[in-house]
Amino acid sequence: MQYPGPIAAIEVIGLERRFKGAVKAVAGIDLEVAAGEVYGFLGPNGAGKTTTVRMLVTLLRPTGGQALVAGFDVATQPADVRRRIGVALQEAALDPLMTGSELIELQATLHGIAPRTVRARGAELIERVGLSQAAGRRVGTYSGGMRRRLDLAMALIHEPEVLFLDEPTTGLDPTSRLTLWEEVRRLRDEGTTVFLTTQYLEEADQLADRLGIIAAGRIVATGTPAALKAEVGRPHLDLVLAPGTDLRRAHEVVTRFGDHRPVADGCHLSIEIARGAGDIAPILRALDDADVAVAELELRQPTLDDVFLAKTGEHLEGSGNPHSEAAAELV
Amino acid sequence: MSGDLRTIRALMGRGLNEILRVPGGAIPGVLAPTIFMLGLSAAFGKAAALPNFTADDFRTFIVPVGMLQGAGFTGAATGVNLARDIEQGWFDRLMLAPARRSVLLAGVVASACLRCLLPATFLLVVAFSLGVDWPGVGALALGALLIMGLAAAAACYATVLALRFRTQQAAPLMQVGTFVAILFTTAYVPRELLSDWLRAIADLNPVTHVLEGVRQGFIGDVTWAQTWPALVALAGLVGLFGALAVRGMRRQGR
Amino acid sequence: MIAASVALARRALRNALRRPQFLAPLVLFPTLFLAVNVGGLERTTSLQGFPQVDGFLDFQLAAAITQSLLLGGVSAGIAAALDIEGGFFDRLVASPTPRLAIVLGRVLAASVIAAIQVVYFLVLGLVFGASIQGGALGVLSVLAIGIVAGTGFGALGMMIALRTRNASTVQGIFPLVFVILFISSAFFPRELLSAPADVLAAYNPLSYIAEGMRQPIAFDNAIGPVLEGLAAAAGVTVVAIGLSVLALRGRLREA
Repeated sequence: MQYPGPIAAIEVIGLERRFKGAVKAVAGIDLEVAAGEVYGFLGPNGAGKTTTVRMLVTLLRPTGGQALVAGFDVATQPADVRRRIGVALQEAALDPLMTGSELIELQATLHGIAPRTVRARGAELIERVGLSQAAGRRVGTYSGGMRRRLDLAMALIHEPEVLFLDEPTTGLDPTSRLTLWEEVRRLRDEGTTVFLTTQYLEEADQLADRLGIIAAGRIVATGTPAALKAEVGRPHLDLVLAPGTDLRRAHEVVTRFGDHRPVADGCHLSIEIARGAGDIAPILRALDDADVAVAELELRQPTLDDVFLAKTGEHLEGSGNPHSEAAAELV
Repeated sequence: MSGDLRTIRALMGRGLNEILRVPGGAIPGVLAPTIFMLGLSAAFGKAAALPNFTADDFRTFIVPVGMLQGAGFTGAATGVNLARDIEQGWFDRLMLAPARRSVLLAGVVASACLRCLLPATFLLVVAFSLGVDWPGVGALALGALLIMGLAAAAACYATVLALRFRTQQAAPLMQVGTFVAILFTTAYVPRELLSDWLRAIADLNPVTHVLEGVRQGFIGDVTWAQTWPALVALAGLVGLFGALAVRGMRRQGR
Repeated sequence: MIAASVALARRALRNALRRPQFLAPLVLFPTLFLAVNVGGLERTTSLQGFPQVDGFLDFQLAAAITQSLLLGGVSAGIAAALDIEGGFFDRLVASPTPRLAIVLGRVLAASVIAAIQVVYFLVLGLVFGASIQGGALGVLSVLAIGIVAGTGFGALGMMIALRTRNASTVQGIFPLVFVILFISSAFFPRELLSAPADVLAAYNPLSYIAEGMRQPIAFDNAIGPVLEGLAAAAGVTVVAIGLSVLALRGRLREA
């Protein structure tokens, strides 16, 4: 018996986009997304995420390289690509004068499907994104979260093989964000390939099977979130020293237990520890012996922000991660 | 029904939806040609007394101009709406449809063809109630066909500009184009009475033929000799601007 | 208060000049309309009852100026409405800026733009073969009437903006500009107008404003029409500023 080989849902080689008279917004990226996985595309604003997505969904022509989506070339077979993808873009552009169900029907028609053949599916999708009550209302009366959910339902009406979500939760309140996350997980469980861009570390961490980190138009790291975090380092211990403590002395003590990590200010210390929690007690004992008073301590696992920091030398701004925000403030 | 036709009908539906759900927004565009007709005939009505003027009444002569203006405004408005759709991101959704670009354009343009009948109908109702002669059903049907064609050409022209500038701020450019095309013709007086420079322009302007095609039934009988130049001129205009608009659609994202 | 008015006027002017795409239509549409009217209706000067003029352009120039000034008023109204929509207006009201200065600033800017509009059309007329019969004194008369009228139209626009607080509604009164203008003697001699414009024109201040500017351009420096034009323009201005201030008060009371 012969099995078909694994088919990549998205295959990108050396993709480039140069805008008139400007630098390359996307400067040659390679990536591969397997069918059925959720691929997170993480990067700060202006890194080239949206430009990449717009090329992958055929809205923007690449100026170099090649991209295959669902097996078709975005530059030379755009209609074939469009038939197989669903797209929810950042703005969630919806006609405010139309109702939710009218928009679903229009979307089906635009994809060449007779609305009557998808009526049941449309109703089911609306139900699924929790808009049954609002389906007959004009979209102008919807909240931001409702619009995003309707946009998602529209993107799914023609049963796409690959779903593109461009910053699906930017600007949403925490509850709406969680609702959308649940929906993405459900889609993954159903086997839909999802390409998701985000500037939120937590979102990438929670949702993505694999990640690509983009900065300044280039992919700087790829892998599963766990592998990426493991790659940048072991768990580390953050210490806040009591006021008036001799910082140099504290340094000397902790250096015996592991490597220093960059510290934010004069009363913080941070060291990598090999064995995790088991290392804490000896360190504290040694500090106590040296008369160094510790005000606070925290054992931290590496985060995607640490990955980002390691790969680009900068924190990912606006990541919703308190550590990185504090650091950004102090810079 | 084939997918293409369904797509065109759905996009037309969306265009008409706007009139039905925000009637206030459509009122100025519907009223403008009527106001223009009434105003022009109030101010310049005595021009009909000029020797060689081909209508007894200036209003009768100017009503077809109003019908064309309604079509021109509607076409320009289609471009302005498209520019708004581009600004707000809706146009991306349209471009993500697998349908051919020409089908998408046809959907946008077809709604302009239907919408342009609204200002014309209002204008005609007012005109007939004020005593403008009834031109006959045939002449009106021909008139409707011709202004729908002109609305399509104007919509394609405005679409080209919308795709090029991608902002509603290009609106005056769209309006000026149709305004000039319709008025730099035999709009006010018969060809012989135009000043030399305007006659030269009107002779070159294909819209003159469209206007004369609509007007013939109002000031006399409909003849093939006056009809075919109008049809040829429209075919040329729609062909030219339609091709440019499709090209503009295909070049999106480059 | 004068300093505040001037400062606000300068801001309004700067904004207008920085967005020529909004300013250009003010002269573009009347220019095109002027061209069509002259090219199409030149022969009407031979109609019985048409006054003796060198050409129809001489006669139409005042109409184009009046139309352009009215559009200037609409555009001032739109700018004011955008200020209200964008919150700049609330910031002004919350500041110690005198109330009258808020109106006067916008209105003074309209005066300056009006002067530019008048000069543009006079130069355009001269280039295309019109004559200004009244000479330098005539030019001054036209400028005087034009600036006062433009100020008044700006105040009217401001008043409508304060009442509607919505730029697209102000934009929607655009066709109304044509209605008012067409029932005046701006485009054609009063004696040759058709009903009901022939009757209404006598009560329409735009008739006097246009005729006041037309007199020195197409005929002579006869003082009567010029004074009537100035009086009509001044009347519009005083009433419109009064209404604007009332509208502003009304708005503040609601707030």
